[in-house]
Amino acid sequence: MLMVRKSIPKAWQFSLGIASILLLVGGYTVFSHGRAVRQKEVAAQQLDNVRNLLSEVLATPADELDPASLAKRQSKIHDYEAQITRFEQESQTAIDRTVPTWSSLYHDGLLRVLSPQGLKKDEYWLAEDAWATFIRLISGLGVGVALSLIIGILMGAYASIESFFLPPLSFLAKIPPTAMMAIFFILVGTSYQMYVTMIAFGVLPTLAQSIYQSAKKDVPENLIFKAYTLGASSLELIWNVIYKQILPRLIDAVRLQIGPAMVMLVAAEWMVSSAGFGYRLRLFYQRTDMTVIFVYVLILGVAGLVADYLLTLLRRKLCPWFGD
Amino acid sequence: MSNTRPNCVLHCQGVSHWFGSNRVLNNINLEITAGQIVAVVGPSGCGKSTLLRAILGTHPPKAGQIIANGHPVTRPNRDVGIVYQNYSLFDFLTARDNVAFGLMLDQTTLPERLFGYFQWRKLRSQHRQQALDLLEKVQLSKAANLYPHEMSGGMRQRVAIAQALIMEPKILLLDEPFGALDEATREELQLMLLRLYDENLQAKAAGQTPPYTILIVTHELNEALYVSDRVIGLSQYHQDGANGATIVYDKQAPVFKAGDARDFEQFETQKDELRKAVFTPSATRHHSEFVTFWNEHDKAFAP
Repeated sequence: MLMVRKSIPKAWQFSLGIASILLLVGGYTVFSHGRAVRQKEVAAQQLDNVRNLLSEVLATPADELDPASLAKRQSKIHDYEAQITRFEQESQTAIDRTVPTWSSLYHDGLLRVLSPQGLKKDEYWLAEDAWATFIRLISGLGVGVALSLIIGILMGAYASIESFFLPPLSFLAKIPPTAMMAIFFILVGTSYQMYVTMIAFGVLPTLAQSIYQSAKKDVPENLIFKAYTLGASSLELIWNVIYKQILPRLIDAVRLQIGPAMVMLVAAEWMVSSAGFGYRLRLFYQRTDMTVIFVYVLILGVAGLVADYLLTLLRRKLCPWFGD
Repeated sequence: MSNTRPNCVLHCQGVSHWFGSNRVLNNINLEITAGQIVAVVGPSGCGKSTLLRAILGTHPPKAGQIIANGHPVTRPNRDVGIVYQNYSLFDFLTARDNVAFGLMLDQTTLPERLFGYFQWRKLRSQHRQQALDLLEKVQLSKAANLYPHEMSGGMRQRVAIAQALIMEPKILLLDEPFGALDEATREELQLMLLRLYDENLQAKAAGQTPPYTILIVTHELNEALYVSDRVIGLSQYHQDGANGATIVYDKQAPVFKAGDARDFEQFETQKDELRKAVFTPSATRHHSEFVTFWNEHDKAFAP
């Protein structure tokens, strides 16, 4: 058996990482391409069938028929011709969009969300959706983080506040926020404020608890006594000692809460919104059109990675003492 | 406080402390005057830390009173400095900012720093210069921009001492400050204390109030006798009848200079005496025999 925790060369680490991505991309290519080829074959088959049917119909002479049969014949011809046009097109390019090929993802997905759409050609889906979602996320997280920071630090600093807030926080933290959605929809409506309230309340219990834990554990008692001997007031103690000490943990906690916040946000947008990622995903889900959905999913994934990286950078910049 | 001595910086009056029915400290009376370096020794669990925390003000005694610089101590404040064995520094500040931290907290308030930003910036560069000067004094100017996690244990303790000293506390408490250090670093830091004591002597000779008054808790008898000019034994082994530790030993200690040889032979006798009086469960002589510091002192300085 391979030894546990045996280190491997850097080149290997790198290549394995690349390999996994290639595998993912390659697997999808093979799968989607295979489906497309099969669809074209099926379409070609059907094209043949319909062509045969059409030639059969055309083979029967028209002048011997009564008017009713003649009309029927005409409509059949019309019908077959329409089908032939469709199958001709399908045998050239697959139009099934449940597992779109890369080129379909690009043409029907990416280009569509980037270029103007709608009757008046004035809807830019990606820009509109990203902006709507981003503003909701940022305001919700902002309010949530600010409230958690105040509650968490005060809980870590004062035993009375700790005793007061701990029971409700522990309880609220155990409720899945998506289960609370109905309550938010009814109490706050489905406006912008609802998203902010929902995200803020969704991240608050967990975030406040982790800030409180950090304010308690990462600031040893001795350090607090020491700060008092250095002439600190209690306000200075909270701002210049406790806050400074927990800042890196705070940034990490926020980083970890972006995921849950996005879950709530996309779910709520899916249900009640008329803009935003969740809204657009629902729209295209109803049409079983995955082109835009895959593009959006990819964008969400990349945005998550970028946010993660930016917050890590921020932590390194603000807290050089913390290390990695 | 009518009968306190001139220059008295710390006065414990009948200090007792107990946890439930367990009496830890019993009737501790102690006067420390400016310029003394006092070592406190005692068996483990005798309440040294309890006494230290009472003096610091974080855990006030259940009976008696502690007066530092003329004011009763009720909570930690800038008159009493502290250096702990661990966790002595603020992780998020460099050595230099750790030392300057006290000046900032002591001389400015948060609103002042926020609303008088430019004034504060000017003051801050003064503070940082002062901190650098002090770091130079403890031979750490090279480490000024290092964070605590980048420093060795000995460096951290030196910064911690500088951090406390910059406040010019009336009394500085050292709680087993060198306990976690290796022998060589320990000796270096002991020499640092001796140099501070030397400054005290110079100030006294010049007719000024000596600047450094230090109470050091240690479990090393050699260290206690070497760095201090007065040794106090705190112990629960005594013939008072009451349980709880009290002061069972209080005598002068030999004074060394930083340049002197570390000749521990010359206090072997006193070390034996300490062991018998403080660390032996079956105390045979009454402790008042060993609590003679002020008598000797008053005799020596009698007009």
